[in-house]
Amino acid sequence: MTAYLQAENLDHHFGGLRALRECTFTINQGRITCLVGPNGAGKTTIFNAITGFLKPDEGSVTFKGRKLDGLRPQAIVHAGIARTFQNLRLFVDLTALDNVMVGIGSQFGEEPIGAIFRPLHTLRGQRRRREEALATLEHVGLADRARDVVRNLSYGEQKLLTVARVLATGAELLLLDEPASGLSAGALDAVMALLRRLQSEGKTLLVVEHNTRVVQQIADDVLFLHQGHLMAQGTPEAIISDPALAEIYFGGAL
Amino acid sequence: MDFLYSYIVLAEIYVLLGLSTNLLVGIAGIFSVSQAAVFGVGAYLVAHFLMAQDALPFVPSLAIAAACCVALNILVTLPSLRVAGDYFVVTSFGIQLLATAVFTNWTAGTGGANGLPGIPPPDILGLQIESTQQYVVLCTVAAGLGCLCFFLVMRAPFGRLLRAIREDELAVAAAGKNVLRAKVSAAALAGAFAGIAGGLYATFLSFIDPSSFDLDASILLLTMVVVGGARTLAGSIIGPFLLLALPQVLTLIDIPTTIAASARQLIYGVLLIAFMLFRPQGLAGERL
Repeated sequence: MTAYLQAENLDHHFGGLRALRECTFTINQGRITCLVGPNGAGKTTIFNAITGFLKPDEGSVTFKGRKLDGLRPQAIVHAGIARTFQNLRLFVDLTALDNVMVGIGSQFGEEPIGAIFRPLHTLRGQRRRREEALATLEHVGLADRARDVVRNLSYGEQKLLTVARVLATGAELLLLDEPASGLSAGALDAVMALLRRLQSEGKTLLVVEHNTRVVQQIADDVLFLHQGHLMAQGTPEAIISDPALAEIYFGGAL
Repeated sequence: MDFLYSYIVLAEIYVLLGLSTNLLVGIAGIFSVSQAAVFGVGAYLVAHFLMAQDALPFVPSLAIAAACCVALNILVTLPSLRVAGDYFVVTSFGIQLLATAVFTNWTAGTGGANGLPGIPPPDILGLQIESTQQYVVLCTVAAGLGCLCFFLVMRAPFGRLLRAIREDELAVAAAGKNVLRAKVSAAALAGAFAGIAGGLYATFLSFIDPSSFDLDASILLLTMVVVGGARTLAGSIIGPFLLLALPQVLTLIDIPTTIAASARQLIYGVLLIAFMLFRPQGLAGERL
């Protein structure tokens, strides 16, 4: 059986810093995998390497038996993998609805010729897409903020919106960079419930997360990264109870 | 009356240029300061086709010139795909200076600094456009079609994509969209607008020289977008009508003609600064 997503020997240098060293891991379909590790461990670099934002010096990534090496970010989205960013990168001057609609794949009128010469067809297509986007916003609990400009949304709402935008792409593997960080307790519960719901709907999730409570509650698998190297892969219980890993993660505080 | 008609014709030609500049600078965030160069190429090409020994009719001349300007604008915008914001302004500045140098010094092709006189009036399906009223009709149709295209494009997913690109290109790529294709399309459309404006301008004035297509002209276009309002159709219309009225208003004030031209430049400069400081969204637009 071929693995769902397989990363093999990923290696990358930023100048003198070796950000990834011989990283090899697999992600299983339908599961929530948490990527944990201290700051600077290379978590976001792995995201960048999988999604085509960074070409690793060495190694390769295979998704459902297809090599992703050298593909551009938009091609990787079409292959079925979409990501969020730690610093959100929303279009803050657009409405929440427009942010989601940008994510929806191949729409008629995305180039000027179609938009100018077939305006009615464009309009009809947009009406359908708007319904889709509203449903997606509803799904993450932001239906009532659809018409609001994103800069007026709270931080928690903006985080949910980044998830809505990747959902709109139709990708089946979602890479979420710290979806729960900086949230109030209530918003945190909403995000965790959302991630579980996405899993039950058949999505596979790779999540960067710092909060061990969140990891324990949502993760099926945990990848522990340290100095660009994959130290361990296992269940959350096994990883969290490993004293050597706790030493690295908390600097011996536990 | 003829004076008023001339003003309307010129303003409508500049509306097309305003749309072109607004599309690139306001909406897509490609800060081009060389739109007047593309405008100039359109004007010189149409003049040439009409004055050649085997002269082409007006409509095919305009179509070929527009097509050339599409290609040219894609070419001059391409650096924006590699170099970010500030660096592109410098690149674009260089392109404008280069174009001015060619317009001024390639005497055989452009008539050099003396300009190109005697450009024949257009003839559309056998109808000779000669009176200023006829030009008003022609330019109103052209500017109207331009505005319609702009409206349709802005309302379509293409417009949303360009706005998103202005905010964050990486995020657009992460959403699965092709940033390169969208930028090339925007440049193409802006090039077509500028080329058609150039053709109308050359035939209306029957004389063109490099001073209409230099850096000052590019800055005038930016001023129109800033004063009118970035990213809106209304802004692209208000800006040209307002700024072209300015010289006429100045003639009412009793200032010597020798300083009128520099006074105009002065006022454009003051307007730019004042709008950026006190009303960055322009009269009818959004923040640039």
